[in-house]
Amino acid sequence: MGLSSRRAVYIPFPQAVPCSYILNMDDCLGINPIACGKCAEVCEKDAINYDDQGEVVTRDVGAIIVATGLDVYDPTEMDEYGYTRFENVITSMEFERLICAGGPTDGHFVRPSDQERPKRIGFIQCVGSRNPKIGRPYCSNICCMNTIKDTLLLADHYPDTQNSVFYQDIRASGKSFEDMFQRSKEAGTRYIRGLPGDIDEDPKTRHLIVTVENTTSGKLERHELDMVVLSVGVQPSADRDKLASMLTLSKTSDGFFMESHPKLKPVDAPTRGVYFAGFCESPKDIKDSVCQAGAASSRAGALLNAGEIKIEAITSVIDGEACSKCGLCAKVCPYGAITWQKGEVAAVVEAACAGCGACGATCTFGAITMRHFTDDQLIAQVRAILAEKPEDKVFGFACNWCSYAGGDMAGISRIQYPSTNRVIRTMCSARVSEEMVLEAFRCGAPVVLVSGCHYADCHYIDANRQTVKRVQKLWNKLEKAGVRPERLQLEWISAAEGQKFAKVMRQMEELRQTVTADEIAHAREALKPKPKKKPKTKEKEETAPTAS
Amino acid sequence: MATTTIESFRCMMCEHEYEEKVSKGEDVERSCPKCRSNSIRHLKKKKVAKPN
Amino acid sequence: MATLDTVDELRIGVFVCDCGLNIAGALDCGAVTEYAETLPDVVCAVRNKYTCADPGQNEIKDAVREHKLNRVVVASCTPRQHEPTFRQCVLDAGLNPYLMEMANLREHCSWVHPGDWEGATAKAKDLVASAVARARFLQEQEELAVPVTRRALVIGGGIAGIEAALELADQGHEVTLVEKQASIGGIMAQLDKTYPTMDCSI
Repeated sequence: MGLSSRRAVYIPFPQAVPCSYILNMDDCLGINPIACGKCAEVCEKDAINYDDQGEVVTRDVGAIIVATGLDVYDPTEMDEYGYTRFENVITSMEFERLICAGGPTDGHFVRPSDQERPKRIGFIQCVGSRNPKIGRPYCSNICCMNTIKDTLLLADHYPDTQNSVFYQDIRASGKSFEDMFQRSKEAGTRYIRGLPGDIDEDPKTRHLIVTVENTTSGKLERHELDMVVLSVGVQPSADRDKLASMLTLSKTSDGFFMESHPKLKPVDAPTRGVYFAGFCESPKDIKDSVCQAGAASSRAGALLNAGEIKIEAITSVIDGEACSKCGLCAKVCPYGAITWQKGEVAAVVEAACAGCGACGATCTFGAITMRHFTDDQLIAQVRAILAEKPEDKVFGFACNWCSYAGGDMAGISRIQYPSTNRVIRTMCSARVSEEMVLEAFRCGAPVVLVSGCHYADCHYIDANRQTVKRVQKLWNKLEKAGVRPERLQLEWISAAEGQKFAKVMRQMEELRQTVTADEIAHAREALKPKPKKKPKTKEKEETAPTAS
Repeated sequence: MATTTIESFRCMMCEHEYEEKVSKGEDVERSCPKCRSNSIRHLKKKKVAKPN
Repeated sequence: MATLDTVDELRIGVFVCDCGLNIAGALDCGAVTEYAETLPDVVCAVRNKYTCADPGQNEIKDAVREHKLNRVVVASCTPRQHEPTFRQCVLDAGLNPYLMEMANLREHCSWVHPGDWEGATAKAKDLVASAVARARFLQEQEELAVPVTRRALVIGGGIAGIEAALELADQGHEVTLVEKQASIGGIMAQLDKTYPTMDCSI
């Protein structure tokens, strides 16, 4: 943290695991052994290898627990607190180093400017938490209790220090937390309700002048302090983005990983076999992290113990007789689960197929059946919904993992939107074929929405790129047929974006109201299937059992 | 080396039209710079951009 | 595998859930149930207070036997929550679990359209009609079983990752723990004392 210096060869900290020395290659001179190479000379076990390189290790695993933790907020942008300008303004993490017996001061708590022991210490809460102005609206959960702990530590080590805590609310709702809060107050810590507007420094004494509106008394107060500790917030680790796209995980607007269900599946990721532990899922303290780690390993253990999993029967089946041997399906499969060679009939490797349906929507020869999400089933849904008064309805397709789940999130959060909307579910937006969209317009839909996962969230690697291609094609097709292409819309809505789902539905409703009866009638006619194609669905319609 | 072209797009929600640099083979999610909608129609290619 | 051609007659049962007042408080479940009865191939439509509870599930099982149902539509909450529940339920009643379909009257309807009784009821009817239309084309499916590699990966060696890895190892599983730093311990190892026990972090 810049509080002390470190050699290029070091043990990270006394209790490190593994407890061995590492070389910091950025500082080491040994890359050019003529310049240095001393450590290699003295190491009797020849353990030093300047040329050691990172290697890629490949492991097959049946379950993954994501525990990527947190980063601590850097308060530089909150210049009013002068973190970069005043030496005696430190963060709560630096406080830990200063009071730690293994730290740079051997646990003697001194202030950076003069190495003197500070007598008047102020703690400012919610630095980088509960502050929508800097885009950090959430409560970091741990900072109140961490500060209370710090005041107790100081009171214990140095009973003559005067601690002041500037806060907006003290959140001490855990087991025995309130008790600690009371002890801190009994130990003489002053709790002042109000977050300081700014900090100034007396250039001579290097004391800090904190100006705060005390919201309890309503008065503006000035506090002279020897040292100020910024109780900084925490955020999910920055590395998580790469992992998110690797494991197709979605994030909430705060950046935390989205669980499968907020109450009932709090440690399961929407991706099967992936579980969350600790801060990456939401702000939590050590005890809660340990609890969640236990839950995650128990869930993972159950999966590993079962020894096998059943794959949902939603995979693709190719009818070899109907197959035109064109190979388009093999091209669009994100999993390489379709084998095909020129002049040969395509075939599906069932164990590799995840059931997105991109192939099914691409095949124009009716040779591909998506089990449990067949053309017949989906077309029947389109027709049923638009059977009566289609002009009053906003019709849409939503993918199971993101946009349909985003709709669920809108429901769980009770975010309202017009009741004109009707959504049917497919596993992936790539399952939505041209025919399905055209059928909706033929049935009189004023507007149609196709919605799926954001690019990074696609649960079928990149199947939703096929959705984009298809919608582009459809826009061209609609335009050619004299149908206003804007009546077809495309949106990416994640499982966490209940707000966006509702917003899109409101926009779609506005759009619907601009579509005239003439336009609807024209589309019905203009998009009628050409006679030579599509006898198949018609035939099936007739043979499908009807009401007895 | 990836070739870059300037291509034009049209937002099908708010009708905003705009140009953007596109490098060949890129894989990016598009949204309207004005209204954030994802209904972005790719209009005809325009011109080859100067390499930068 | 039963296909549409081999099924002589479709017999669909529709089960409309009040979900207490979660659904029934925002739309007319009675009207939805009555409407369901008029849909093609529906031979019975039942309204439950809580379809997912034992009495509700028993009602489905009884109806499957009594009415010789071969398709079941549950109009309740999101399939993302209770599809496994109702698949198991129809399986218990002797039906292939893939012959069950859900209509999402709660997350996608009653919860988002409170105060729009007419609109929500009309939408609920459409959602049920859509589910029934789909149910008419449902077919039995068999699931493929795939072996699971008995090894776990834990990403991150902070307190959560360490705990999870130890726990899994205690259960007898091989675990690979990945940490980007030279030592495990994460942020917690940077703390001196930790609340509420005031003991050291390591």
